Amino acid sequence: MGKANDVQFERARPRIWDRLYPYLSILPALIIIALFTVYPFVYAVRISFFQNLLTKPRSHPFIGLQNYEEVISSYYFRSALTVTALYAIAVVLGVLIFGLGVAMLLNSNIRLANGLKIIILLPWAIPTVVAGLMWKWILNSDFGILSGILYSFGLISSYIPFLANPTLAKISLVMAHIWKEGPLAAIFFLAGLQLIPKELYEAAKIDGGGGWRLFRNITLPLLRPIILIVIVYETMTAILVFDLIYVMTGGGPADSTALLSWFAYAEIFKSLNLGHGVALAIIIALITLVLILIYLRLLKTEEINV
Amino acid sequence: MNNKVRRSLNTVLLNILAILLIVYIIGPFVWMAAASIQGENELLKKPPNLIPENPTLDNYNYVFTGKIPTAYEVKGQIRSRISQEARLIGPAVKNSFIIAISVMAINLFFGTPAAYAFARLRFRFKNPSYSFILASRLMPAMAIAIPYYVIIRTFHLLDTYLSLIMVNSVITLPFTIWFLTLYISNIPREMEDAGLVDGCTPFQSLTKILVPMMAPGLVAAGAFAFMTSYNEFLFARFLTQTIKTQTGPVIIASIAGNPDVSYSLISVCVTLGLIPPLILAISMRKWLTEGLSASVTYH
Repeated sequence: MGKANDVQFERARPRIWDRLYPYLSILPALIIIALFTVYPFVYAVRISFFQNLLTKPRSHPFIGLQNYEEVISSYYFRSALTVTALYAIAVVLGVLIFGLGVAMLLNSNIRLANGLKIIILLPWAIPTVVAGLMWKWILNSDFGILSGILYSFGLISSYIPFLANPTLAKISLVMAHIWKEGPLAAIFFLAGLQLIPKELYEAAKIDGGGGWRLFRNITLPLLRPIILIVIVYETMTAILVFDLIYVMTGGGPADSTALLSWFAYAEIFKSLNLGHGVALAIIIALITLVLILIYLRLLKTEEINV
Repeated sequence: MNNKVRRSLNTVLLNILAILLIVYIIGPFVWMAAASIQGENELLKKPPNLIPENPTLDNYNYVFTGKIPTAYEVKGQIRSRISQEARLIGPAVKNSFIIAISVMAINLFFGTPAAYAFARLRFRFKNPSYSFILASRLMPAMAIAIPYYVIIRTFHLLDTYLSLIMVNSVITLPFTIWFLTLYISNIPREMEDAGLVDGCTPFQSLTKILVPMMAPGLVAAGAFAFMTSYNEFLFARFLTQTIKTQTGPVIIASIAGNPDVSYSLISVCVTLGLIPPLILAISMRKWLTEGLSASVTYH
């Protein structure tokens, strides 16, 4: 579009261009995303209505909702649902408490706070598989460093098999999960804390509020939107967790750390039953969706009340 | 007086908490690095040494050159623990790096104009397409992993960079677009309006006016995209078959899954694989923190 062009021509062209421009700018991204979302989703739903055993690659009879029925009535569904719920509750609470505590520490005026700010994001930045692997080793029952340290201080007489005991294995997983996900929550909460005007605290102090009362009456209510974001986000990561369990426990011992998402993997890659695995994955998606809708509902009513 | 004592007690308590937290956060990293410069025998002692007694670079030497560490020749039976696979970490990190850089470029190249359109322009189907892009992230990876595998296989793209770059772009683009849309919405419009009066097209006002102003947001968005795809494991495991494309997490998980593997060699792999994201996290700290904070405090 050189300037020497005919004036009319120059005006007519930008107008069409202007009208098309927004569509052209979102289209590439939209196409890439749609291609890898809509089609796979439809495909997954279709698979879930057919019998699809990887051991019988040539026969895929239509069986309606039978995959869903079989998954729900399977030996593992109830226990896995309980384990998933327990895990999600523990992770969400753990991340909330860790995140809030760390954020307040980072926001305090101690000298170590600056050092902490440099390292706090490190666990968040690394692959989850690697984080799981590091913790698996630290907790190892034969040469793990955690047992090693406790042993050399004389706190224990023999190494603790953290990952071989059903209860300890769950606690270990939650601890590793908090290590990986907690820092992000801490940064979110810190951002929220820094927005709270200092005058609010000062005014409250004059009125004679103690530390706990300041926290309950000022900090918590003002952080409420961020708390809800963290709850939604962490519920999702907890329900969908896979990498961490894959490396740390493999669902064991005796399925004690096998969440629903683990069984979706096991159905596909261990039992080679694609139909079951995908049906379970869709059930998990629905559970997540329902939870998110409930949270969003809560978020809305909160906004009206405040 | 009483108040002063209480305050200094408080500070001591906070410092103790901070030290415990520092140990919890960086302990695993430090131990991994310490383990990577020890011989296998030293590592399996009960209890192990926190500070290596005979630090050695032999393990690294093995990974890079294939020269078997002397520590393994002391006891014959441990030699079987030498895993050839450990030597794949170099190429694997390279693969991760190539994929992550490409994904980052795609995110910025396609994500920025899309975010600009969503933040500033008026057009039909704006809200539905924005919601669709955001909602696409709610799909659990496990449900679409198999369809992805089938699609990629149909196009004969298994074990190629292209397939992983595509998949990781799909995973990261919604966040990039959402994040940049928020970022642009929070930049005052005056400069662009002035540009429009001077006859700028929307494209020119994006590239000439907005992009220079939103550099920190672009850096943060790029870093997020890089990290997400550098760290992605599930799809990488399905879609790669050989070291031609296998990424760092895939190789590390596979080495670690081998029950006979040498622990000091895994530590070397992990340490090497962690260098890029850790450098990125520390050097980009300011932008990352600002970006993350912005994503929960902008509305």
